[in-house]
Amino acid sequence: MNTKMATVVKKVRHRKILENIFGIPHFDLFAIVSYVIPLAYIFIFLIVPLAEMLKIAFTYNGAFSLHWFKSIFSQEFYISPKPQGSLYVDTPQYIYVEGLDFGVILNSLIVAMFVTLLATLIGVTLAYVMYRYTFPGKSIFRVLLIVPLLMTPFVNAYVVKLIFRENGIFNWILHDLIGILPKPIRIDGLVGVMIAQAIAYYPIVYLNTYASFVNIDPSLEEQAENLGSRGFKLLRTITLPLALPGIAAGATLTFIFSLEDLGAPIAFHSASIAKKLITYQIYDKFLSETGYRSPEIAALAIILLALSLLAFALIRKYVSLRQYAMMSKGGRWYVRTVKPKWWQYVIIYTIVLPLVLFTITPQIGVILLAFSKEWSRTPYPRGFTLQHISQIALDPSVRRYVINSITYAFTAILIIVVISVMASYVSNRFRGVLSPIVEALTVFPLAVPGIVIAIGYFYFFASITPKTSVLNPLSVSFNPGPILIIAYSIRRMPFTARSIYAGIQQVHASLEEAAMNLGSTRWRAVMGILVPLIAMNVLGGAMLSFVYAMSETSVSITIGSLEMSKAPMTAYMRDLIVSAAGSAHMAAALGFILIAVQISAIILSTIITKQRYAFIGIT
Amino acid sequence: MITLVTVKIDRVVKRFGEIVALKGVSLEIKHGELFTLLGPSGCGKTTLLRIIAGLEYPDEGRVYFDGSDVTDLKTYERGAVLVFQNYALWPHMTVYENIAYGLKIRKIPRDEIKERVKRALELVKLEGYEDRYPTQLSGGQQQRVALARALAVQPKLLLLDEPLSNLDAKLRIEMRSEIKRIQRELDITVIYVTHDQEEAMALSDRVAVMNFGVIEQVGTPREIYQRPKTKFVADFMGKNNILPAKILEIKNGRATLEVLGHRISGIPAENILGDYSDLYFSIRPEKVSLTPFEGAQAFEGRVDLVEYYGFFVEIVIKIKDVFFFVRVPDLKEPLKQGDNIKVYFNPRDVILLQE
Repeated sequence: MNTKMATVVKKVRHRKILENIFGIPHFDLFAIVSYVIPLAYIFIFLIVPLAEMLKIAFTYNGAFSLHWFKSIFSQEFYISPKPQGSLYVDTPQYIYVEGLDFGVILNSLIVAMFVTLLATLIGVTLAYVMYRYTFPGKSIFRVLLIVPLLMTPFVNAYVVKLIFRENGIFNWILHDLIGILPKPIRIDGLVGVMIAQAIAYYPIVYLNTYASFVNIDPSLEEQAENLGSRGFKLLRTITLPLALPGIAAGATLTFIFSLEDLGAPIAFHSASIAKKLITYQIYDKFLSETGYRSPEIAALAIILLALSLLAFALIRKYVSLRQYAMMSKGGRWYVRTVKPKWWQYVIIYTIVLPLVLFTITPQIGVILLAFSKEWSRTPYPRGFTLQHISQIALDPSVRRYVINSITYAFTAILIIVVISVMASYVSNRFRGVLSPIVEALTVFPLAVPGIVIAIGYFYFFASITPKTSVLNPLSVSFNPGPILIIAYSIRRMPFTARSIYAGIQQVHASLEEAAMNLGSTRWRAVMGILVPLIAMNVLGGAMLSFVYAMSETSVSITIGSLEMSKAPMTAYMRDLIVSAAGSAHMAAALGFILIAVQISAIILSTIITKQRYAFIGIT
Repeated sequence: MITLVTVKIDRVVKRFGEIVALKGVSLEIKHGELFTLLGPSGCGKTTLLRIIAGLEYPDEGRVYFDGSDVTDLKTYERGAVLVFQNYALWPHMTVYENIAYGLKIRKIPRDEIKERVKRALELVKLEGYEDRYPTQLSGGQQQRVALARALAVQPKLLLLDEPLSNLDAKLRIEMRSEIKRIQRELDITVIYVTHDQEEAMALSDRVAVMNFGVIEQVGTPREIYQRPKTKFVADFMGKNNILPAKILEIKNGRATLEVLGHRISGIPAENILGDYSDLYFSIRPEKVSLTPFEGAQAFEGRVDLVEYYGFFVEIVIKIKDVFFFVRVPDLKEPLKQGDNIKVYFNPRDVILLQE
């Protein structure tokens, strides 16, 4: 009797532990494995490398020290509250604008803030116009608004640079043709980076905001109108506040993306002020000091990480506090649209349309560049050629980069899908101490700048693998493939994980419970009931992760370029962009391949998942 | 083979964080019984049902099927099949696939699965719907499919979680007779959860009334309606007049009370449930009459509202600012608001309850 009581008590205690930690009432191998694998994977390949970097950054002469941080913060090179240079230089031929130099750290922050401001302004305005108004040509707008999302690392920004040269198309139209500019303006340096980033990232704000608007229960606006509110007052008091979490999420992502971007600074690197950004400095020092575990690089990376994490933590907190846009219940609703008034038509066609057209010029430029013979001294490209595209297909030394990229991205996606399904399942279905941790960890990589991961991995793999191993970046036989696959799988996991998480949320837990109640094991219920029901979310997320993995830059151009025969295409594109004029055409041709992959993915996911967009969000 | 099952619940406690959903609940459910857990939302009835199904586990206490302890068995090891409130039909499977699911898991041969799905559909009168998807069915049809899916595996114990709550009123009454018919036909033990007292009374062999994680009373619908043990049960089961009362004296097994300034005498002492302090007077509206009779006690008040229901008329009377309900088959003369009125009742129909 006593022993029986004891076993009962013990069982209950075990159950309590399982319930507290995992949120599962019984020992359940599948549930526990689904916790352990994502946790272990993200811990080993994200947390440990970051910790390794922390250790290096905080060590001086073998002891804990703030030395490297003090040294960074005391140098005018990094922080200079009194700006160097002048806002513009008036040369005889043109006005040269490249921005003021406040030192590397402040420059990064200022650029990110301006980009966020600009992108939010454009993104929210466009989202509101698209949400509220019906007008002829709206469906064309809708397509055009997706175009800036098509990413061609380096080449996009390079085209922005071409457009804003003294003899570029911007000055050709506004100075030579229309003549409203008395003198050509040449935009370069930090200002150029800013414009290139704002154009590239505003769709993130647009999509998040648009989704928030559409998710507002129309009855909330109707009730306000019914009580007498309308027009701008309705927008200010009801619509915008309800969409604010989405707007804030998009803005924060833009801030983080700008902060971590390495493509635009590299494209503008010929203006030396564009190099004075944190990412570029880390990258530059990495290239010049390869083989040496530089504490200064580590400290710089930690600063970048801290800034990005701060923004990320604030938005997670804020959005979780204000989850009301989706609160109302009820059936599928319609979107309330109105016809614009005459002056609104004027604004739409004379301001909004040209703005949208302007933001897609990089993509148009990439395609023109890819198919043209020459585009350096003229506002527009000259000579049509298929030479660059055909070289990718025919020249094995170029083709291999594309094949490498596809191989790495595809393998990474397989890992991402398995881990995301496990992590989203347990974090959604169980209420243990670990559940929110697993969920947060799958999104966490969004907040970690790529260059930080690159440096972290370099240190991590250099220290844990044998000196001659193919996995050791310092070894002569180094193969970057496996590390790139891991890097892609970590960096691009949030897109798939979020999509799957959202899918599981849509499936009521009783659907699996019913299966288990009828005799199916948890494994069988998940694979037979849940997974088929969220297949579309898996596919949509996986495609997004795939295209973003294909265009990954930070890890690709650092660790990836250590052995060029195994390098991904973005590493080769970087080489082309920074080398002599003319190779930009080849980079653009590779960019065109990326655009083609992305368009196919968007079309496929639209057809298969019937969602209008696969989109980026953290909510 | 369908085997009948008894269920014993022994001092079950379940907490969700700070909230105690079940505060030491004990119950015994007999072979072949249709047993209902009745109570307002949040009373713990669904939690108790999920514990019986093995979808939740008690923090304390045990669950026994036919005398053997099943507390630690997983839901797929128990054979207590639950029909979910939202039906939980798998939208990506046809009606046939939904119903066959549990049979496939049991590795039943194909031909037999076919046969049993057919029989299950016959039982719920949905022959010919095999190839439909759940979204192509009406709410009532979905409900039947959910029931058929549960019945197809020939459960030892069938658990129904508010199965009719998503149906309209007419269908609800139809379906509850269906459930009763199927239960009789298959002769299985059924535990039924509902918040609808009318449904519980119409359907059940026995009812357990729950409130705040505690079982207030277990009994046949008649016992619970006629002899509620607590104020909560008296109030929850049908309409009732519950008024604060004070015992003035008890003589020869008869009590005299003061209720709303009226002196009421002749109440049998056995109708006093609980201590003699803090008592509530209760009488059903249909036990009150507008005409005097031998041995009747009376209240006086003013007419506040008259509502015509068809098979009865409800008169709301204001007695000293308290509403008192009377239900009579019909009115001989019309009543106006503000009319003085005197109503009569038999003191044997009065029950005295405690909080």
